Amino acid sequence: MKFNTDRKWLERRAEQEDRHFISVGGLISTLDPTCETEVASPPSVETTKTAFVRLLQLARRERRLTLEKLAEKADVDLAELLKIETDETFTPGLRTVHQLGLTLDLPAKKLMVLAGLLQVKDPHLQQASVRFAARSEPIGNVSPEEHAALEEYVKFLNER
Amino acid sequence: MRETIQIIDSQSGLPIDAEIFDEITLEHFIETQADWRPVVLDAARALSKDPNRATLIPRHYHWDWTRKEAELKMLALKFYGISCQGHLQGIMKVDTVARSCRLPEQQGKPLVYIDYIETAPWNIKLLMEPLGKRQQYRGVGSRLFEAAVLQSEEEGFKGRLGLHSLPGSEGFYVKECGMTPVGRDPHKQNLLWCEFTPEQSRRYLAGE
Repeated sequence: MKFNTDRKWLERRAEQEDRHFISVGGLISTLDPTCETEVASPPSVETTKTAFVRLLQLARRERRLTLEKLAEKADVDLAELLKIETDETFTPGLRTVHQLGLTLDLPAKKLMVLAGLLQVKDPHLQQASVRFAARSEPIGNVSPEEHAALEEYVKFLNER
Repeated sequence: MRETIQIIDSQSGLPIDAEIFDEITLEHFIETQADWRPVVLDAARALSKDPNRATLIPRHYHWDWTRKEAELKMLALKFYGISCQGHLQGIMKVDTVARSCRLPEQQGKPLVYIDYIETAPWNIKLLMEPLGKRQQYRGVGSRLFEAAVLQSEEEGFKGRLGLHSLPGSEGFYVKECGMTPVGRDPHKQNLLWCEFTPEQSRRYLAGE
């Protein structure tokens, strides 16, 4: 691209810009629920979503954190966290997943894939996610088997 | 694509090197969320205290960038960012497929559609003034707009460009940039559809 290198041109454009907000309307549609069709839907990821929820639950329980404590530590909304753990159809916000990854020491980008926020075609990830989801239970104390499953799955996510 | 351009450092009034690039990642979205939002909220609070200026608060600031990250993978969409001194200073999203020209003389022809432009709040004079601060860099939005025109040329669209302007931005796109206000779009919150012909975009690039 050949950008204008003339300083006077830049000065003039900057002066014009200073007098206005330059916001453009396209994405304003996302503010209006009647225009939801224009918002890209996240990919369908039922299996990884289950693994995502179980992973968060196990990682939280292993650290002996209540939902409230985790919400506080990660600086995320408690209601959203509760929704994540109880409703697998719920799609969490990107920032929330990022913060949870940081707090629970889990790879944030992989979490985003599992949560359906990022699309990556990876059959191995699908298989590992199904295996992990099947081997873990959402409630109760973390059993030695669950601990092993959690460790194996986090290792897999970190390696890829 | 990653190129060195110049914007203006408001403190010194001198041009300063910046980079424009199209490899936008999730981290850039997170950066806008983490770094931009608190400044925007402060400025919005300051503006809202003054009834004469409360209406200046741009509606798009309620919007959350993170909702659009899925679009990063779409081929027809392109995101541009400008960084300077290690920080993201502005971001833009364009679409080369979704819209076509509406002006009678170029009806139906392909164009580059600017779906979104936002500059970092500390670069917006109208936001920094209520906080008693000087804006940091100038000309960031104009550089992004220029990139959209240049992309239109590269795509073979001869500079044809379209956008839906928010009410507070119409003056910029029509009077300052020289776009034609084609009409209100009932399918887009009645926003004003503005368009560049090849001749208008040539004049913009040349500074005429």
